[in-house]
Amino acid sequence: MNADGMTPWRLLRGALCILVAVYLLAPLVVVVIISFSSASFLQFPPPGLSLRWYAQLLSTPAWTNALLVSVKLLVPSSILATLMGTAAAYALVRGRIPGATVIMACLMLPIVVPGMITAAALFGVYRGMGLNGTLTGLVIGHTVLSLPYVVATVASALRVQDARLEQAASTLGAPPWTAFRRITLPLILPAVLSSLLLAAILSFDELIVSLFVSSARVRPVAVQMWSNLLGDFDPTIAAIATVCFGFALLVLIADLALRAGRGLRLA
Amino acid sequence: MSISITRRTLMAGVAATPLAAYAQGANDLKGTTVVFASWGGAYQDAEKVSYCEPFAKATGATVVQDGPMNVAKFRAMAGSGTPDWDVVDVTGGFLEVAAKDGLLEKIDTKLVNIGRLDPRFVHEYGVGAIVWSYNLGYSTAAYANGAPTTWADLFDLKKFPGKRTLLDQPVASLEVALLADGVAPDKLYPLDVDRAFKKLDQIKAQTVFWSTNSQSQQLFVDREVTMGIILNGRVYDAQQKGAKIALSWEQNIQAVDYLVVPKGSKNRDAAMRLIDTMTVAENQTKVANLIAYSPTNLAAVKDVDKKVEPWLCTTPENLQKGFVMSQLYWRDHLKDLTERWTAWKIA
Amino acid sequence: MTTVDRRLWLLLPAGLTLTVAFLLPVGWLLSRAFTFPQPGFQNFVLLWERPVYLRVMGNTLWISAIVTPITVLLAFPVAHLMAHGSPRLRRWLVFLVLVPFWTSLLVRSFATAILLQRHGVLNSFLIAFGFTEEPLPLLYNMAGLLAGCVQVLLPFVIFPLYSSMARIDPAYMRAASTLGATPVRAFLRVYLPLTLPGLMTGATLVFISTLGYYIIPALLGGARQQMIAQLIQDQIATFGNWGVAGALSLVLLAATAALLALLQFTVGLKEIAR
Repeated sequence: MNADGMTPWRLLRGALCILVAVYLLAPLVVVVIISFSSASFLQFPPPGLSLRWYAQLLSTPAWTNALLVSVKLLVPSSILATLMGTAAAYALVRGRIPGATVIMACLMLPIVVPGMITAAALFGVYRGMGLNGTLTGLVIGHTVLSLPYVVATVASALRVQDARLEQAASTLGAPPWTAFRRITLPLILPAVLSSLLLAAILSFDELIVSLFVSSARVRPVAVQMWSNLLGDFDPTIAAIATVCFGFALLVLIADLALRAGRGLRLA
Repeated sequence: MSISITRRTLMAGVAATPLAAYAQGANDLKGTTVVFASWGGAYQDAEKVSYCEPFAKATGATVVQDGPMNVAKFRAMAGSGTPDWDVVDVTGGFLEVAAKDGLLEKIDTKLVNIGRLDPRFVHEYGVGAIVWSYNLGYSTAAYANGAPTTWADLFDLKKFPGKRTLLDQPVASLEVALLADGVAPDKLYPLDVDRAFKKLDQIKAQTVFWSTNSQSQQLFVDREVTMGIILNGRVYDAQQKGAKIALSWEQNIQAVDYLVVPKGSKNRDAAMRLIDTMTVAENQTKVANLIAYSPTNLAAVKDVDKKVEPWLCTTPENLQKGFVMSQLYWRDHLKDLTERWTAWKIA
Repeated sequence: MTTVDRRLWLLLPAGLTLTVAFLLPVGWLLSRAFTFPQPGFQNFVLLWERPVYLRVMGNTLWISAIVTPITVLLAFPVAHLMAHGSPRLRRWLVFLVLVPFWTSLLVRSFATAILLQRHGVLNSFLIAFGFTEEPLPLLYNMAGLLAGCVQVLLPFVIFPLYSSMARIDPAYMRAASTLGATPVRAFLRVYLPLTLPGLMTGATLVFISTLGYYIIPALLGGARQQMIAQLIQDQIATFGNWGVAGALSLVLLAATAALLALLQFTVGLKEIAR
């Protein structure tokens, strides 16, 4: 390739990349700054700085309850999704199961089907069962939504591993569970943990199903944020968003470390 | 029941004598959770401090705040028979609709001392909490030389350029359009709907619609709009918080908010007692001082802060400039006109 | 073959959960289209006859059709730099794209709203640098909606494109230029076709995601940018009309399925799974 001919293209590429970077990051920067605002409205730039919105966050029962509900929701739903998803991925990749491709595609459906349809459907059938407004109803919804991400992540990790290792262990007399636990599990563990983190984040951020299924008494953070955006519109939302953002950043760094440690491919 | 606030009746009455028997044992509601739903933002904050907290303190109950109030959500909830909300702040028009459709519990006068209130604000299915008005609000920064004063100015894009804001529903928007088109307030109902929509077409392209009161404030704070329909208390609140906003009282449209209990509430008695706390004069004065909405317990008026008083829509001057919205008209037409409104808006 | 059967049990929890808590409820919702309020096709007749519904469905397709090319165009240079830049640069770019990807869509949407305000950051910038004299209307209209969607969807194109580009052997481009092709011609005839699987995958993901959006149009769009998901929500919450909601859901799903079938036809789902 001729360097002279390519220079303008390289410059254009660089400029566009910078533009995209600003476009992606500017909103996050703005949110963090506004969370320290002293004004009563969402204003940028803020007229002064203060911690009043963080104080508000910690002193308002609506927010503290919502945080508690979110934790009670993301812990069981991410663990359930990870356990079921890992088992399913293992069966589909390593087992000789007829129609595995079709089953895999079905397991991916919750990603493909628009959230509004899933939400309306769950809300509709929950009505008859008294599950609307309950933690159980929310846990079921979030587990289903996270499941495909777990299956996809673990399945791709399994495909990279050499199946013969496990076969060798079996041939040498190890029972299937031991072979899995001693050989395969350590190899896919980073992917399993990574999908656990992803499921936790998905549950924490999920809005549409929660919006339909939750109630005033059982209300996760995302719904509380939505209701605040519609009803109050004050910088408390920026404060909680900054907290969420910090949480996401920590999880992301943990995840990247997991992947880097085991040389997994990204995404 | 239609309310007709006149200068005389408002000045006239101090609430009837208390009927005793309402005193309850302290802390007897410990362990009960009552969900209170209202319109969010500054108004709900005021209600929380003035009604919910004294109620919680006296009875030991926990009050959970929810909102913003949404007619559709209310309907779905009360229709299901197991509402999530126990006490809801609704507008007079919706009170009438909901009462007609059987979505409300009757007010239990053994638990709510309705004698404290002016009888005009007591309904079989709801108890009036505040009187407020729709006003023409405008940015003082945008119209430094010559402020708009009438609804006609809202439609005058030449003389007063800038983005407009209307509430995202036909209530008040249609009235405003007809007033701007020259219809007199006493000839307004039944509304000439076609004429109103035609008038609204003039500013539709320039309009941002708000669906909650906090949004209406935020739109002015962000200078996203320069003029529009907004509630008097919200202008007061925004101004207190430093926004460059003012209002005109010309042809203000007055309405009443009621507290109601959705049909099937599991905490009906506790809900009634929370409503009873609202009727206490001292508590109503607190709300008025926080967000400039007028009390329904007339004994509360005299203690309102002198600085806040001119912001009340029920002062003699403001009453005289305004008129009362017809709750009965909206009881009968809310549903149809909401559908037509949606179609008009996205067309 | 006993091991095969035993591994099948591992599928059971996920399969059962998916069926009971997803497939059956969605099936139930879709069936409402034909059964609510009474059996028949009246809901589809209604969709066809009421201009509001047609308009919103048209809007939704149109918005997706605009969002997709913009997202692809912006994603292309980023993926290209990621694939052909230094490893250090790649790590930074991946991090940069992943950070917003892991942050809640709601948070990013309302943050974007603050940036786009009439007197917000972007308008101040545009005025300061003389791009415009008057602040531009960027919020509660098509511009706001597009800005919100593209931002959220960029990673969905960047990653598949990157993975296609990273697999391209530089020898191809060298061969093309040795044979006398100009850089532009080599790019168009050799490079671009090789990125097509990633590009098509990303574009389809963007298109179908946009079709189902609810939060972004509600927060950043205006009255005229109403989308189908908002209409479904309205039908259920406001009118309790499960029939029309079911019919709208079916239309939305059919459009999604058609696009996926098209992708399968052109690229092949096997390729996508890689």
